[in-house]
Amino acid sequence: MEVSRLLTVVVILLGGGIFLSPSGLFAEPISVTDFRGKQITLEKPADRVICLLESALSGLYMLGAEERLVGISTNIYQESVFAYYAAMDERIRSKSLATPGNWDFVNIESVVALQPDLVIIWSGQEESIQSMEEKGIPVYGVFIERFEDIHREIEALGKLTGTEGRAEELVRMVREELDTVRERIVGKEKSGVSGVKKPRVYFMWAQGTLETSGRNSTVQELIELAGGVNVAAGIEQEHLVANLENILVWNPEVIVMWCNDRMDPVDVERLPSWRSVAAIKNGRVREFPDPFSCDFWTLKYLFSVEMVARWCHPERFEKVELESLRSDLLGKLYGGKLGSTLPSLEAEEGVKP
Amino acid sequence: MNKHLLRYVLYFLPLPVFVLSLLLGPSASAGMGKILSWLFGQPDPELNEELIKTILWDVRLPRVALTFLVGGSLAAAGNSLQALFRNPLVSPYILGLSSGAAFGAALAVTVAWLPIQLSAFVFGGIAVGLSYFLGRSRKTVSVVSLILSGVIVTGIFTALLTVIQFLTDPFKLQTIVHWTMGNLHNASWDKLESAGIGIGIGIVWLFLLRWRMNVLALGDDEARAVGMNPERERLLVLVPATLAASASIAVAGVIGLIGLAVPHMVRMMLGPDNRQTLPASFTFGGAFLLAVDTCSRTVASFEIPVGVFTTLLGGPFFIFLLKKARIGWEV
Amino acid sequence: MGSINAAIEVEGLSFSYEERPILENVGFQIREGEFTVLLGRNGSGKSTLLRILAGMLQLKQGKIAVMGRDLQKLSAGERARIIGFLPQHHRPVFPFAVEDVVLTGRASYVTLAPKKEDEEKAIRAIERVGMAHLRGRPFTELSGGEQQMVMIARVLAQEPEIIMLDEPTSHLDFINQAKLLGLVRELVDGEMTVLAVLHDPNSAFLYGDHFVFLKDGHIHELEEGENPWDREVLERIYEEEIDTVPYGERAIVVPKG
Repeated sequence: MEVSRLLTVVVILLGGGIFLSPSGLFAEPISVTDFRGKQITLEKPADRVICLLESALSGLYMLGAEERLVGISTNIYQESVFAYYAAMDERIRSKSLATPGNWDFVNIESVVALQPDLVIIWSGQEESIQSMEEKGIPVYGVFIERFEDIHREIEALGKLTGTEGRAEELVRMVREELDTVRERIVGKEKSGVSGVKKPRVYFMWAQGTLETSGRNSTVQELIELAGGVNVAAGIEQEHLVANLENILVWNPEVIVMWCNDRMDPVDVERLPSWRSVAAIKNGRVREFPDPFSCDFWTLKYLFSVEMVARWCHPERFEKVELESLRSDLLGKLYGGKLGSTLPSLEAEEGVKP
Repeated sequence: MNKHLLRYVLYFLPLPVFVLSLLLGPSASAGMGKILSWLFGQPDPELNEELIKTILWDVRLPRVALTFLVGGSLAAAGNSLQALFRNPLVSPYILGLSSGAAFGAALAVTVAWLPIQLSAFVFGGIAVGLSYFLGRSRKTVSVVSLILSGVIVTGIFTALLTVIQFLTDPFKLQTIVHWTMGNLHNASWDKLESAGIGIGIGIVWLFLLRWRMNVLALGDDEARAVGMNPERERLLVLVPATLAASASIAVAGVIGLIGLAVPHMVRMMLGPDNRQTLPASFTFGGAFLLAVDTCSRTVASFEIPVGVFTTLLGGPFFIFLLKKARIGWEV
Repeated sequence: MGSINAAIEVEGLSFSYEERPILENVGFQIREGEFTVLLGRNGSGKSTLLRILAGMLQLKQGKIAVMGRDLQKLSAGERARIIGFLPQHHRPVFPFAVEDVVLTGRASYVTLAPKKEDEEKAIRAIERVGMAHLRGRPFTELSGGEQQMVMIARVLAQEPEIIMLDEPTSHLDFINQAKLLGLVRELVDGEMTVLAVLHDPNSAFLYGDHFVFLKDGHIHELEEGENPWDREVLERIYEEEIDTVPYGERAIVVPKG
């Protein structure tokens, strides 16, 4: 009698356990929609992930899901980002992680040989994606057009790798930080409109002094969040070559340069045809320190916003060294994996592919 | 129109185009009305004198001058090479100049410490030199062998360019592609200085040789019979033409059509005598490119590479040529 | 007639092209003020010989003296002021005006740009050949005969002492042929020295003064008392049966069969 009662209890407990456990028989499958609009369904969180997009890769590290990686993109080993990933992951330091492709090509054979249960890639790679999906490999396609897309991507990756908690935490943290920045700039008034003067900002890509971004771009968002006005907002394009005459007329007060290995702010300040520009007269030309920390295709856009906000409204922020701001934010995002072992900004200059 | 009159029209065409180009631009504050007000001392509250002066001096003047020089030198070089090759369908890029320069620029973009202009100039020259030396057999350089080696050298440098494009990152790739489209939007006094020397020497040298091109254009035998050494004369024309065209490509990227179409048009108007067509090609080529560039920078709020326009114009131009059946190929 | 001098003296000239011998041990003289014709079958080397004498091909073996001077030692310009050479084929590409084509003949007197004097000499040359009415027309629009006359004017513009013509009548109809050769005859009668390769022996005999025969790269000397228009001579050179018809002091020849 006791034995059958005991057995019943055990069965009930076991059954309940199976029901309730997330990886149980009746656990819900994981389902997300990628940027192509395609639904990706996994039975359980992926643990053999190939990530061929560096921005998504840094997301995985922020989520703490890097253990699940079996393949990364070739440029990780070749570019300046190598130092950072090497600091976070022994496998990358020893170059032992497979590299079956890059953002613009995929070696299908190598991918299949790694037996992945998830591949993350730029959604524009239609042919390669089709090849992989035909072989039954789930593919998550990424296409970032605005910062909201990054949040969406992190949340999706969180679900796909069973790190939703961390994903939520990250997105919440970024949103809170952005709120803080906004409050600093406009004060604690309810409406965002105030007597704050928003400086005119010109964003300069590294390909050339006239290369900038217009209204429909993350650069625009970046500048707005930092409390500035994009001088090129009158033009719709995401990436365009401006006419020098227009730049002189727009007369930006701050010039923000993307990481540029040909020119430094002093070189821009010395350009003879630019000498009448306000930003140059007042010495307000700044350059982003390194592509890894400032990458605004990732949650690190927060750091970019923080930097540009300080350049636009220096009087509204406490004086803080760029170096410590950087290690602080990166530490928070990467959960302490980076921070103490951060490649320094000066050493950064010497790190070349 | 009387040929004589036409000749002077072509010689003096640059003047009005120049002036107009200085008055036109994308920004309203330096628009034609404002500039004229400023020049004639009309009171205007919206007039920003400082801005107008800066735009005129630092932006428009160097750009207009550079565009004119580049257009003129490409056309003059094209004219000279057409005489040299006895073929009215030859462009200054025939001996691999553009592919060599494009490779040089791509190399410089990828390897950050190399200056783009210098690299493009040097590799453009190397390509032509290579074509020339490959085309030599038994100390003679015939027209056919030059063209063939030009084709080979172009192929080599295009292949190398493709390799670089493949290996480089997307940002640099975009820079390289934009460069090959030809652009004048980065014109500055510096560029004018660096290109001016090469273009100046090349053009003056070609100008001095303009009658001798007539002799060369009749044929090798005919030239030799009257005491000219055709191989030497070819080299004497090739060097300055390459110098001028290479200096142009170095500062403005690859701009098509001008070197090919302008001498052709000039010849249709004035006849083939190089004593007239060479200077007219220079002035007309300069005015032509200037007109195209001024239109492109005034009309759009952002920059479109001028090479895009010249290439688009090239198609209809050649259809027009075919219709008129004025193409002849004699080697 | 004044003293008859050797305008051209050739000695021991041999020439081969890519291992193939074309001329062997050629030696002869061309006299001033005479119209000399080089005759022979196709492939006998007559065009090559003419081009060597005109300085168009590099001499490897032998000696050539032109107006008493060593041809090898003359610069291209000096040579062009002595020898006016008309090549056989001309393919005009650009429609240069007739006067501009003739003006190019002055190249050996001009450094960078022709002067008034050069232009005047070119015009006179055009008038000499009777083409003055076409001076402004594009060369490419002229008939074959007219073009050839213009090219002769170009040679005359060089003010040469010797004129060399490489098959000047090969593309002309027989009326134009007669006109051109008539002009040459006039020039020779005016003390010009002319050397020509003619493909048709009859033209040669009708207009020429002196005849040089080439056979298989060798000079073919005539026997004592033989005339160039004798049947035996021609049959030896052309290796075909020939008929001859007396014409004045000479003869017209016709291949038999």
